[in-house]
Amino acid sequence: MSRRVVGVVLALVVVVAGAGFAIWRSTSAEAVGDPVISVSRSACGQGWSDPKPGPQTFLLHNTGSVTAEVDLIDPGTGTVFGEVDGLGAGTTRPMQVTLGNGAYAFRCAPEETDPIVGPTATVTGGDERSGPAVVPVTRNDLLGALRTYQDYVGAGLSTLSDQTGALVTAVRSGERGASEAAWLTAHLTYERLGAAYDAFGDSDGAINGTADGLPGGVTDEDFTGFHRLEYGLWHGQDMAPLAEVATRLDADVHTLRDSFADLQVDPNDLGLRAHEIMENTLEFELTGRTDYGSGTNLATALANLDGTREVLNVLRPLLVPRLPRLSEVDDWIGRTDTVLRSGQRSDGGWTPVAQLDRAQRERINGAVGELTELLAPVAAITEPRRVS
Amino acid sequence: MTGHVGRRSFLRGAVLGAGVTAAAAAGTQATAATESLPFHGTHQAGILRQLARQSIVAAFDVIAANRAELTDLFRAITDRARFLASGGTPTSVGITAPPADSGVLGPSVPAGNLTVTLGVGASLFDDRFGLAERKPVRLTEMRMFPNDALDAAQCHGDLSLTVAADDTDTVLHALRDISRATRGAMQVRWKINGFSSPPRPEGTPRNLMGFKDGIANPEGTDIDRLVWVSGGGEPSWATGGSYQVIRLIRMLVEFWDRVSLSEQENMFGRRRDSGAPLDGAKETDIPQYAQDPVGTVIPLTSHIRLANPRTTGTDGSRILRRSCNYDRGVDDNGNLDMGLIFTCYQRDIAAQFEAVQTRLIDEPLVDYISPFGGGYFFALPGVSGPDDHFGRALLA
Repeated sequence: MSRRVVGVVLALVVVVAGAGFAIWRSTSAEAVGDPVISVSRSACGQGWSDPKPGPQTFLLHNTGSVTAEVDLIDPGTGTVFGEVDGLGAGTTRPMQVTLGNGAYAFRCAPEETDPIVGPTATVTGGDERSGPAVVPVTRNDLLGALRTYQDYVGAGLSTLSDQTGALVTAVRSGERGASEAAWLTAHLTYERLGAAYDAFGDSDGAINGTADGLPGGVTDEDFTGFHRLEYGLWHGQDMAPLAEVATRLDADVHTLRDSFADLQVDPNDLGLRAHEIMENTLEFELTGRTDYGSGTNLATALANLDGTREVLNVLRPLLVPRLPRLSEVDDWIGRTDTVLRSGQRSDGGWTPVAQLDRAQRERINGAVGELTELLAPVAAITEPRRVS
Repeated sequence: MTGHVGRRSFLRGAVLGAGVTAAAAAGTQATAATESLPFHGTHQAGILRQLARQSIVAAFDVIAANRAELTDLFRAITDRARFLASGGTPTSVGITAPPADSGVLGPSVPAGNLTVTLGVGASLFDDRFGLAERKPVRLTEMRMFPNDALDAAQCHGDLSLTVAADDTDTVLHALRDISRATRGAMQVRWKINGFSSPPRPEGTPRNLMGFKDGIANPEGTDIDRLVWVSGGGEPSWATGGSYQVIRLIRMLVEFWDRVSLSEQENMFGRRRDSGAPLDGAKETDIPQYAQDPVGTVIPLTSHIRLANPRTTGTDGSRILRRSCNYDRGVDDNGNLDMGLIFTCYQRDIAAQFEAVQTRLIDEPLVDYISPFGGGYFFALPGVSGPDDHFGRALLA
């Protein structure tokens, strides 16, 4: 899975970086007479002579010699109303905001220097502030969450390595049913660790990769790990060769467990994962694309939901004052949990997604879809920002 | 295909008819007036509007848990539709969220002559939301006709949503925007993209069989009589709405292109070049069936003659047709999948669309078309103003 998640992140970054410039330059929302605001160490925020309420556009012009980040903030609380990232030296970009009554200032953060807060402007005669604004999260703010999360993943990997050990034993014994049960237990443990994909590096591809992108498909020698084993177990392949697949999986898991203490979860990843785990669920589990025979995509989706819960729990102290719809997020996690469990049969087995009846599948797709929409702001809000 | 017999027996009529038909050439003038499409009004603006160049027709299933959530859904659709139809700059969200708008239409959303038309299907009035007592009395699930080949996955739905505008990006933007705001409450059941061709060279747009489609439509006071629901035993909330029939009809265009012109024209009853009835000179001419009682000019089995015999007895079965074309991919046998998104509005489906369609059963044209999807819906009354929302009176 990691390749997919990483790919998504990289692609997003590239698109934003590449497209932002051209689009912003031609924006029709800009009007002649929009105030031009200087951005630099020496002249941060200068040029805002006539503060007024309502929707408006500032043209931010970087007069310095290095790239800078600019925020429009309340200098008293640090609340951010607008942000322009990566403003190149000598370039101009618009910032669109809707301002209510109160005090505002531009904060300029040129690369390699501490941010500077410009002069305060006071807006009067408009509405009370009501628009979207939030106090930024810093890397420091995220340290506690990261520690807790790292402990969660570490403990999960420890459990997982016991379970893949048991899986090897089961496959070696030649008992297919017992092996399938052991496979599911271990796989779900891994899927609960969703937020740490980036931190797992190449290990994730070996442990949980699919046959996508492999020229030989399911027979490709680079197809390894859980899904390779799943394919063999549920397609009646001989157990003896599968023991080798299980052994390799177990070894990869142990390597990951042993090296995890040295790996760092990027502070930026935590918030991203809050919605990307369920984005992956939507794309790969609810479509059945990662089903190599077990038909357990719904169980995987529930494990992913557990992983999302853990990310949210470690971020919760930061989210409570910043995400007004947090209780809605919690509600939809509960609803998603319930509707996913509706796909579990009375004998404990799982209905493959393709076999769900239409109404049930729509409810599942809709719940996960709504949840991803509600989770999307978490990444924006918890992206670490420089404030001082 | 209903088989060889039907095609051959018709062929004889075609030859007969063509021999005595007067040639006709005079063109009609199409007036492309700019239209005002206000979102608020007694009726939904998308019903009477001139055919939009681009459209998406979709059916949704409601997954809202209860009546309150259903109300929220209708409010959300209304809010988004109102914004999209009016245009404007999306809210800036600062660092609190991803952008509120997809940006597909640029930083400021143009109205683009967008209309959003919302309908409700019979299934919405089952036991989920306690609305059974409020069902429009003439709303049923779409029935199957003898020449249909319906695919269950592309039929029916709790809601129908038709977005129409000048440009493809405008309708795609609208569908994405509305879907994003409603994921937890409704899910797409089926969807098809449509387009309406420019006048070629003038007058009513052509379908993909090359014929002008939708020439004879009710106008003026006939609209009130034939299209808008009012009284008639219907619940009061339904006043100002209209029954909507959507039929997804595959056209077997490769086969059609191998048919002679006279046979084609006799199947429709109109000239392919001008759209004129076979006894007329221009598309607006009224066919004179009384002077052609046995169909020597316009065959008795022709589409226009069966669909609208223009008798006192059949006048009340006329419908407002708002069809557009679709084109979407290729069959396993290499044939192109294209055809018609037949759409019509009326105040009584049984007395109008179904009466027409019943007359059309086994018409010669059925060999070249294959209806595979669609549904019956009730297009809601319009949203009256900023405080109103779709379905307010229905859900009150």
